[in-house]
Amino acid sequence: MWYENEGRNTDVVLSTKVIINRNIKGFPFPPKMSDADRENVMGMARQAAGSMGLNFVRTDELDDNAKKDLYDQFFSGYAFLNSNAKTGYLLGKTEGLGVIINSTDHLSIISMVPGNDAALAYKRADDLAAKFEQCMDIAFSDRFGFLTSQIKTVGTGVQIMATLALPGIEKTQGAVQVLGQRAEKYDWQMIPMTRPDGIRENGIYILSNLATLGLTEQELIDRAAKVIDDIIKLEDSCRKNICTKKKAVIEDQYYRAYAVLKYCRRIEVPEVLTLVNWLRLGQKYIDTSDADIDFKTINKLTQKVRRNYDDYARKGARKRDASAERAALVRDIMRGGDRT
Amino acid sequence: MRCERCGALIGNSYVRFNGTLLCDNCARDLKIDEIFRRQNSMLEQSFPSLSEIPSVFSLGSELDFANAKIRCPRCGMTLKDIDSSGQLGCIECYNTFNETILKNILKRQGSSEYLGRKPGKAAETTSNVTEPVPGQIPDAPAAKDVSAKTPAQAAGEEKPQKVQPDAAQDDKAILDRLRKADLGTVPDDVLEDGMKRAAAAEDYDLAARLRDELKSRKEG
Repeated sequence: MWYENEGRNTDVVLSTKVIINRNIKGFPFPPKMSDADRENVMGMARQAAGSMGLNFVRTDELDDNAKKDLYDQFFSGYAFLNSNAKTGYLLGKTEGLGVIINSTDHLSIISMVPGNDAALAYKRADDLAAKFEQCMDIAFSDRFGFLTSQIKTVGTGVQIMATLALPGIEKTQGAVQVLGQRAEKYDWQMIPMTRPDGIRENGIYILSNLATLGLTEQELIDRAAKVIDDIIKLEDSCRKNICTKKKAVIEDQYYRAYAVLKYCRRIEVPEVLTLVNWLRLGQKYIDTSDADIDFKTINKLTQKVRRNYDDYARKGARKRDASAERAALVRDIMRGGDRT
Repeated sequence: MRCERCGALIGNSYVRFNGTLLCDNCARDLKIDEIFRRQNSMLEQSFPSLSEIPSVFSLGSELDFANAKIRCPRCGMTLKDIDSSGQLGCIECYNTFNETILKNILKRQGSSEYLGRKPGKAAETTSNVTEPVPGQIPDAPAAKDVSAKTPAQAAGEEKPQKVQPDAAQDDKAILDRLRKADLGTVPDDVLEDGMKRAAAAEDYDLAARLRDELKSRKEG
């Protein structure tokens, strides 16, 4: 998986995702498209992608393994992968880079990188977007810029999202509010991550841009770097402060979390994420010499448990085995293995 | 939060009227604040002034969508559809609901001017992230921009002589960062790696600092 690679500031920034939305002139936007329109757009995108080294796959022809792979790689939600709408994907050799056809817009170019690197994620997506623009008649107006189906993305059509692990800020009174206000100053928003089943993912937040007009792409990237750097600094200070002032408590929680994750036999997602928060909080600032774990393993654990297609795809009796299978996956990752 | 009428950032004081968020100035312009201000004096009266009620409704509709009956001639979308889903049906919707879209953009972003690139040419963006945050020293190989390589490099034809200066530069950059970093915030593995690099580069001062930091952690 792309998120298992090395990245910058991965102790705080789990991943950075850039989506560039583009639409082809002459077709309604996806919410108003007929099946024939959808087929035409898929055909055009497939033809254009031929010279870009991307392979086309139809969503309705994907088997469960392929769906699981796309879901676990954060390309699409479970509902989208299992809907009957005529949609498709263009995927290449670069991990974390692809195009979704007929989702909210005709083309949603997605680029994901581990850690904090909005510039790289943007560059990869933008290079691909420019290639599509060269060989297709893309909806664009001088007044509004790139026309998208959602008013909130009209303009550059660019959405930058950083997935942040902020146990230090979350455990520091008032820090989340301060950070939210700080992000708002730059026209960004920070929201706590919630799973489709309504469960809050403790300590995980999504930071995303609000502005797609009134600034250039370079300014957008610069603001991303500035906001994310501020968050990293604040999170680091909060972790250091907590670990210094509550050393004994954090050490105790750290090793309890470590032991439970290493030896659990049944475990639910919220519990894993809560325990992982203790590991993340203490990893850098307490004596961890008795625990054999690093940030790479902590991140892998976080992402694999957060994003598991089987959590939704299991039915009947198999659903009941989920917590045992999850525990086995957790133990395996804690021991440095990989069952997936 | 921004004022949904003028787009200005809203501080502590604002008015929410018929679901519309207004800053102090706009509330004053629209004379909405007077209604709230008069509440105290209204309590002293036996009956409120009935003449105020129609003006309240007209102000509300002026701030909301101009005309809910307008339909996009191409896709049939109405303002109500757009309001409920936040999505437009087609490109023509941008012409049909121009004013409403502008109002929505202003409310959300504070600017409606397009400053981005034109279609067909990728933006020439550069990364301003040069100084890593303390604790994160080297750029990982996977995070490096592969597109910056020449075709020859990409095909694995890079000459060995070229690798050495690059590696030396990497070392230099890492050691520079370590010199400036607050060592107390740098992870053990980075310290160890830095200590080896510093020793190889004969920077014994830095190597000793890193060794002492590691030693103090193990003892403490």
